[in-house]
Amino acid sequence: MIAFTDIVGMDLAKQALMLLAVDPSLGGVVIPSAVGSGKSTLARAFADILPEGTPFVELPLNVTEDRLIGGVDLEATLASGQRVVQHGVLSKAHKGVLYVDSLSLLDSSAVSHIMDAMSRGAVIVEREGLSEVHPADFMLVGTYDPSDGEVRMGLLDRIGIIVPFTAQNDYRARKQIVSLVMGTRDAEDTEDELRMLRGIIGAAREQLPHVSITKEQIKGLIQTAISLGVEGNRVDIFAIRAALANAALSQRTEVDEEDLKLAMKLVLVPRATRMPEREPDEEEMQQEEPPPPEEEPQDEAEDENAPPDESDSDADEEQEDNPDMIEELMMDAVETELPDNILNISLASKKKAKSGSRGEALNSKRGRFVRSQPGEIKSGKVALIPTLISAAPWQASRKAEKAKKGIKTGALVISTEDVKIKRFRDKSGTLFIFMVDASGSMALNRMRQAKGAVSSLLQNAYVHRDQVALISFRGKQAQVLLPPSQSVDRAKRELDVLPTGGGTPLASALFTGWETAKQARTKGITQVMFVMITDGRGNIPLAAAADPTAGKAPKEELEKEVEALALSIQSDGIASIVVDTQMNYLSRGEAPKLAQKLGGRYFYLPNAKAEQIVEAALS
Amino acid sequence: MTQTAKAAKKTTSAKATTEGKASTAARKPAAKKKSAMAFPFTSIVGQEEMKLSLILNIIDPRIGGVLVMGHRGTGKSTTVRALAEVLPLIDRVKGDIYNRTVQQYIEMESGAKGAPVLKTSEVKTEKIPVPVIDLPLGATEDRVCGTIDIEKALTSGVKAFEPGLLAQANRGFLYIDEVNLLDDHLVDVLLDVAASGKNVVEREGISIRHPARFVLVGSGNPEEGELRPQLLDRFGLHARIITINDVEKRVEIVKLRREYDENPEAFIKKVARQQQKLQKEIVAAQKLLPKVEMDDSVLTDIARLCMALGIDGHRGELTITRTAHAYAALQGDTTVTMEHVRAIAGLCLRHRLRKDPLETVDAGEKIERELAKVLGEAEAVA
Repeated sequence: MIAFTDIVGMDLAKQALMLLAVDPSLGGVVIPSAVGSGKSTLARAFADILPEGTPFVELPLNVTEDRLIGGVDLEATLASGQRVVQHGVLSKAHKGVLYVDSLSLLDSSAVSHIMDAMSRGAVIVEREGLSEVHPADFMLVGTYDPSDGEVRMGLLDRIGIIVPFTAQNDYRARKQIVSLVMGTRDAEDTEDELRMLRGIIGAAREQLPHVSITKEQIKGLIQTAISLGVEGNRVDIFAIRAALANAALSQRTEVDEEDLKLAMKLVLVPRATRMPEREPDEEEMQQEEPPPPEEEPQDEAEDENAPPDESDSDADEEQEDNPDMIEELMMDAVETELPDNILNISLASKKKAKSGSRGEALNSKRGRFVRSQPGEIKSGKVALIPTLISAAPWQASRKAEKAKKGIKTGALVISTEDVKIKRFRDKSGTLFIFMVDASGSMALNRMRQAKGAVSSLLQNAYVHRDQVALISFRGKQAQVLLPPSQSVDRAKRELDVLPTGGGTPLASALFTGWETAKQARTKGITQVMFVMITDGRGNIPLAAAADPTAGKAPKEELEKEVEALALSIQSDGIASIVVDTQMNYLSRGEAPKLAQKLGGRYFYLPNAKAEQIVEAALS
Repeated sequence: MTQTAKAAKKTTSAKATTEGKASTAARKPAAKKKSAMAFPFTSIVGQEEMKLSLILNIIDPRIGGVLVMGHRGTGKSTTVRALAEVLPLIDRVKGDIYNRTVQQYIEMESGAKGAPVLKTSEVKTEKIPVPVIDLPLGATEDRVCGTIDIEKALTSGVKAFEPGLLAQANRGFLYIDEVNLLDDHLVDVLLDVAASGKNVVEREGISIRHPARFVLVGSGNPEEGELRPQLLDRFGLHARIITINDVEKRVEIVKLRREYDENPEAFIKKVARQQQKLQKEIVAAQKLLPKVEMDDSVLTDIARLCMALGIDGHRGELTITRTAHAYAALQGDTTVTMEHVRAIAGLCLRHRLRKDPLETVDAGEKIERELAKVLGEAEAVA
């Protein structure tokens, strides 16, 4: 077991966990990081720096609903003839830590339950004749690899700290790791260091109530949150708490600029939905934070038409670094990586697309109750009446047998063989991934058609329990505008602001779509369909996404890339349709070729109406 | 084998008794304590639409509930949970699990299945706060509707009915957070009950029917998923809630929240007078409501508005009419005017407009525009 102090690198993540240890009301820490960065080791070592006896519960990804929130322990209940309540994992983490590895892979109903528990500090159990409230006030520590998919925003909203994504440790850290593994460190050193750290945290906890933050500092944090377009007001409290906790760690009584910066970096920037504007908004922010001596009501001072250079010269003397800092932090936060050798991906996994009716899954625990069947108590919901019926014929003989052994029985003797569980039928739905070519060659009217089609499909999606994702590709790379969702509102919003122009990174689009499809598969969506709205004329290689200087590549190479990807997509059982919106006299047959490579259908709809695209996708 | 089994039995039963005791003892006080510790309703800054919608539903529960949709972290559930503290008291038959009035109780129980015939004076009553029942996402259908009492079935073999959340919510509020994520089969149950005001349980050999008339309050974030159209239509009002972007207001929110977190008891004490004041206003509005009148011309204008907006069915008109009455009562007015209608039309109609995927105009603006047209006409005619 590697101790907290032994872990090398990930300094920001460590700092985040220490803040949480000082103030558990921060709610939790989420650490997105690539495979092998030691994030889960660090998270598990978090227990080292917490006061002794703090519960640390690890949540398995395959946790069932009843294990998560608790319920009647049927086995024990049947054995004892008395209702035995089993507390769920969430309430076991009360006053402690709930740790989830691969947080982004947790299924959505489990996420909903965790969100609910975090908002109440308790679990409400209303199941199987049980009605109880179990306290569940825990800190959530989650780690995940962003290439597995993203964590639901609703959940992130209840977690105070999101550590900016880090891809890899630097070389110094690596060297240190090696020496650590070689055993050059002393166990005693480790123990001493840990003890010291616990002492620091204990002292910081005592210090925390004595730390103060000024109104201007609070305003500065709020201004930053607004200018970064962070949704919701809850984040203000988290940012303040983080700043206070950091000041407490340094045994200060006042929050200083460093604390505010850290709070921005760990709380606000990771939730940014836009870059801070360089205009009046920012000027306000600069004046506000940290407090200038001559404070004036900012709301009235707001002047949207102020020339930018004027505001700049104003700000230069005061806090020049502030917007830069935010921008720098933003860059840190958005930096991502792409696997370098995409063409080497093995094509071994040949999955046939599942034919048959549109997504009906039987294994589910939700949906319509179909019939009962023999089964393990733990593997499903117990069908009570069939269970009792199957137990009925044996009552006389069982009672006699138990009586012989001198065991007292209740009115009913039920054994585990009698148990029948419910079988449910649930529609799992199809995921439609819309890939919209937003490059310069796509005229504006085609964008409108695509927008219309996506919106109509979304309206449809609710009825069929389908999901829709939206990917646009232009310039250097494709971009997921909307991860798999059933939300009309969000898709509309994304589409409204979709910019056009630039090159056509077709390979990047296919790759991104494929990744999205694979993530969806891990969440139980079996059927995926690509709907590509493009003229099929890719001119940007996949490498451009990782390296903007890569520029253009020879035509054959581009085609090879697309072909390899298309083959992988096809062999993964993903169905495709290509909607060619190219004007006839320009068309050189690229789109039909793409459809052929994908093994999908081709539609030539130069003036395609939204409804036609929908019809094509659904037929 | 027998030894271990016995030992296991001993430990589990011991656990069962301690936990059983703890939970029965904890259930009521815990619920009470929780509501007492909620952040006070009157200290919630901004989000006037949501607060108004909730208050109007207290004044007239027939408005049909409210759906609160909007951004994360904007105080949706905090506000609904704060509601309990400003709700007035109601009379119910003492200890009745369905919160029935004396009249309802006598109608259902008196003389039924050989039970004695009861007189009003014989039935004891008690005052309870209007119940606010939380329906968690993980609730199973049997806990929502009620079911056979497993414990009794297992221990004594007796078939007894154990009422569910719908029974507890009768004459109160039923709150569903993340309502857009609710399982489809639970949505079906809710639609059924909300339409009939009765919960009928016909399953597992039980046949029970009890009143379940409640104000449905749902909240959620539209980005997490859409609400089924039938359920959407059930909600009388639709309040939107967005991130507050006014720095001063946000500073105020933070200030109040931190003060509350530091010492909840002291904070609640400090704002107790405001809370009582609001409660009094609500009670006064409830009393005034039967006296509120509306001119036929106002009704005509409401109908015109709904027609101009192309709203199907009559639920739109009905909701506006009821809500406008409640709003007038809250303002202390005894006559409904178009000004009252204007204040609440958006809440009543926003979710009833036909959805057009390419529409970019906000529903609220559209309603406002049509309303202005209708009013313009009305003035011209007059």
